[in-house]
Amino acid sequence: MSEPTGVIHDIGYRHYDGARLGRGHATAALAVHSLRGIFGLGRTARSKIIPFVLVGVMLLPAVVSIAIMALIKQEGMRYTEYAVIMQAVLAIFLASQSPYAVAPDLRFRVLPLYLSRPVTLWDYVGAKLAAMTAAMFLLLAVPLTVLFVGEVVIDLPGDTHTVEYLTSMAGAAGYALLLACLGIAVASFTPRRGLGVASVIALYLLASAVSTVLFGVLESMGDDAAAAWAWLINPFFVVDAAVHVGIFGATPASNVIYPPGAGSLVAGVIMIALIGLSVTALIARYRKAASR
Amino acid sequence: MTILATEGLTRRFPRVTALDQLTVTVGPGVTGLVGANGAGKSTLIKILLGLLEPSAGRAQVLGMDTATKGAEIRRIVGYMPEHDCLPPDLSATEFTVHMAQMSGLPRTAARERAADVLRHVGLYEERYRAMGGYSTGMKQRVKLAQALVHDPRLVLLDEPTNGLDPQGRDEMLALIRRIGSEFGISVLVTSHLLGELERVCDHVIVIDGGKLLRSSAIGEFTQQTQTVTVEVEEGQDALAARLGELGETVTPHGRMLLVHVRAPETFDVLRDAVCELDLCLVRLEQGRQRIEDVFREPVNV
Repeated sequence: MSEPTGVIHDIGYRHYDGARLGRGHATAALAVHSLRGIFGLGRTARSKIIPFVLVGVMLLPAVVSIAIMALIKQEGMRYTEYAVIMQAVLAIFLASQSPYAVAPDLRFRVLPLYLSRPVTLWDYVGAKLAAMTAAMFLLLAVPLTVLFVGEVVIDLPGDTHTVEYLTSMAGAAGYALLLACLGIAVASFTPRRGLGVASVIALYLLASAVSTVLFGVLESMGDDAAAAWAWLINPFFVVDAAVHVGIFGATPASNVIYPPGAGSLVAGVIMIALIGLSVTALIARYRKAASR
Repeated sequence: MTILATEGLTRRFPRVTALDQLTVTVGPGVTGLVGANGAGKSTLIKILLGLLEPSAGRAQVLGMDTATKGAEIRRIVGYMPEHDCLPPDLSATEFTVHMAQMSGLPRTAARERAADVLRHVGLYEERYRAMGGYSTGMKQRVKLAQALVHDPRLVLLDEPTNGLDPQGRDEMLALIRRIGSEFGISVLVTSHLLGELERVCDHVIVIDGGKLLRSSAIGEFTQQTQTVTVEVEEGQDALAARLGELGETVTPHGRMLLVHVRAPETFDVLRDAVCELDLCLVRLEQGRQRIEDVFREPVNV
């Protein structure tokens, strides 16, 4: 093609002959873009409020624990309990932000644009899950790390809880993965953000209520063994039982007693099954969305 | 050089056949794809992008088979969809940079290209504002920019003039002409108005019900569209009668008359007739051929 000659008022159209990277780069770019979106970075000030308020709330127990350690020289919160105690905050973050990651692309029909690029449906779903997983992990790992740094700095008599900290970080990864899969899968079924938020929070409340009520009923009937299983209806206790207790042998969170023996194994199976189910639902959902 | 080619391309959906044995070849430059709503234009574009599998037949884009090389095709082809596709909370710059990265451009290159392309489509200061507040014209420009940002060798534009006012439509058409000539990017542009494509295309393909109706260079089309639209304030019937007497072919079309141009003298006859009848001439313009006109004419051209 001929370049315009003798034109000085406009530099004209310049062709691009630089690097064209592959699907991996595009998928990573989408994941980073989505992660920024989840925290409202690069968006309006209003969309930063909810995520950052929740991050602040998540940090509170860590700060309070550090204060307790520093002032009255007593041990603060246990690392592996953190997620279970703060489960409502994690659930609210998941409910409010996972629709943010997927709903606009459906509602404003950005999805066809992504699919007109080299990325595949799998890449798209993978990037969204990675972004939400990273967001949930940060939400949990940052306060845990702050708490650990505080503990090291204050240096109470006795051992530092390094193993417990590392266990809780592995647990954070487990929580992040399971919650992100559940949240994104539920949120992807509606292009309406409000509906997505309501669905995720309703699912969490249902699971947590059913689990608590069932536990109460079974315990009052004196069936402690069956009651222990009731905890595993709540996804937060599933990860605690599977990762913290099952893999690393930590003590269960707060006053919970998990089913002995196969309990942790079953929790692990439940966790993997829920992740698998969510990913399958996501792929089916997006196959349908893409064919429209 | 062939930009894209289809061979017996067929796509059946459970209820309808969207494409029926379509065989076309498209060369470089601007090609118009004309068809009524539901003629199979969007289905063809999806197949060309490798997003939809044909029920039968084959399609090649830039020498690559759509069935096996979908990802490679999408890397060097740009697509502007017909529908809205812009997230309202992002600015045009952020969105275009992101879409460039999605096409495989490194971050710095993506930024440079986005700035360049947004300037070319005519978005300046407003590109830093959230797109939710954009007018339809500005939205169409961003949609075009994201299709061009990775410097594709071919862009597929689905109804780019949809929803634009006459001025916006003219600007968009001029831009499409520039993409084809100055930018050196081949263009496949769909529309249901043949008249507007006539002004920018080198070649026009007309499809109806998924079948090829006609594929020819624009020159052959303009020969076909030798009609003049005449609108007078009153006395339309009198004018039609007078022109008929003088041996011209006149078809009433609503408030207007379509006069067939058999020779340059027709214009003189028309002018004189209007003068003699002392009519108030509102409009006299070269006939914009609409898709229906192609259907009315014999297909053997």
